[in-house]
Amino acid sequence: MRPEHRRIRARCGLLLSVGLLLSVGLLLSAGLLLPAGPLMPGLIPAAGAAAPAPARTATVSIQLPVSNAVLPPGNGAELANAQCLICHSAEMVTLQPPLTLKEWTAEIAKMRNTYGAPLPAQQIELLASYLHGIDGR
Amino acid sequence: MSRFHEHASEMSRRTFLEGAGRIGLGVAGAGSAVALARGTDLGFANGMRQEVVFPQKQPLLLQRTRPPLLETPLEVFDRGVFTPNDRFYVRWHLAQIPNVIDPVAFRLKIRGHVRRPLELSLDELRNGFERFQIAAVNQCSGNSRGFFDPRVPGAQWGNGAMGNAQWTGVRLRDVLERAGLRAGAVQVRFNGLDAGLIPQTPDFLKSLDTDHAADGEVMLAYAMNGAPLPVLNGYPLRLVVPGWFATYWVKMLNDIEVLRQRDDNFWMAKAYLIPDTPAANITPGQQGINMIPISRMVPRSFITNVHAGATLSVGRTTEIRGIAFGGDTGIAKVMFTADGGRRWQEARLGADHGKYSFRQWTASLRLAAPGAHTLMVKAINSAGVTQPERANWNGSGFMRNVIESVAVHAT
Repeated sequence: MRPEHRRIRARCGLLLSVGLLLSVGLLLSAGLLLPAGPLMPGLIPAAGAAAPAPARTATVSIQLPVSNAVLPPGNGAELANAQCLICHSAEMVTLQPPLTLKEWTAEIAKMRNTYGAPLPAQQIELLASYLHGIDGR
Repeated sequence: MSRFHEHASEMSRRTFLEGAGRIGLGVAGAGSAVALARGTDLGFANGMRQEVVFPQKQPLLLQRTRPPLLETPLEVFDRGVFTPNDRFYVRWHLAQIPNVIDPVAFRLKIRGHVRRPLELSLDELRNGFERFQIAAVNQCSGNSRGFFDPRVPGAQWGNGAMGNAQWTGVRLRDVLERAGLRAGAVQVRFNGLDAGLIPQTPDFLKSLDTDHAADGEVMLAYAMNGAPLPVLNGYPLRLVVPGWFATYWVKMLNDIEVLRQRDDNFWMAKAYLIPDTPAANITPGQQGINMIPISRMVPRSFITNVHAGATLSVGRTTEIRGIAFGGDTGIAKVMFTADGGRRWQEARLGADHGKYSFRQWTASLRLAAPGAHTLMVKAINSAGVTQPERANWNGSGFMRNVIESVAVHAT
């Protein structure tokens, strides 16, 4: 891994951790995190022993953690943050193996054509070059 | 000081004192919100994953926060053949996941090419149909994708995008019979409560042929290991398709549509396709391959109590153990070797929980010579299918099931 790569990843990791901690902290202070459902013991008894689950009548409510992590700086980072993070958090990008420019371009095409990412065609090149720059081979 | 800052300084203190120890953020009694400092290296480049605690869950490895992708750490599989609900892996495609579910108001629709469209409450499902229970492995199509060489894009899972549970609910066959399939019904399509964030994103829909859907094994589960499903595993109801990859096990299932033509929606026609070749194996770059929907699982086995780089004592007998599953049928044999595959010994098999379940295996190992040794395990299923010696490869990173190796050292 190139040293700048490692730095970028370390930074991403830090941002992610801070993001997660912050979200969890905020949710806790807001009292939004509700108690978990019944916890399973470490070991489940043998087949047939699973008792019929009692019917639950109370509404179940959870609050999912939020990631505030952003993508690493670089030419095109603003575009990447604005586009990629609409549908998924940053780890989906930063945890990929290094990809070729062609592979990143194919990922962008999939996001635009299949999932409906509102990325204007004239910005594909900039985004591909940015993604290849932070995680390319 | 804000609560966040208190936690942050508490974290740095504990990190300082305990190194890579787990850092609990949960206030006493809350138990549902913890971010952890511990990381696990999954064993491939860029494979460090942080442990996190999501609602109703104990620590899992973070692959993606939104939509959640959470991996079960390998150590969980060493503790028993049933994966606890709070350690069961999590995989969502679309980011709009309901976070409030009222089980009394919830309705499952059965509609389309049927004689009597139905809307069933959870109570009606529980009380109006015979209860059915089955142990079955749920494994992501892309489990172990991170080990593909050359690497492929997608969720970079280690081996923990799988789990085994006792599923309780009702047979899909019984529900379809109540609705009455009309002549010409071809497939049954399943939809859950999740949705994409932008309107253009295709809703996550999966289909099974009617014969398969009504085979008496495919079921609607309202419980998992004797408890309601965690929300992240599909509460209040999910489809269970024993022996088939998890892409079909639609979570938060609320809509069943009987189709009179084959489903051509994106998630059947364009996604989750594999090469129509033995073991879905192709050469990188190979063109002109016929692609088909992924379906049945293949056998796999893992060593769970010895990890790569472990040191064992020369001359001492160690019990090696792990889990195996046959894929779409049961386990016939599990074979173990400590010399890289020259001599194999048959492992002892643990209790049989049914052909779709994990099965524990054990083997006694006594290493006579110091130095490096390679432990390997392979499963042979009751249809005679054996795990391959060489890893398969395809561009989506699906269906990996190569024989696993663990390099150890004896002193």
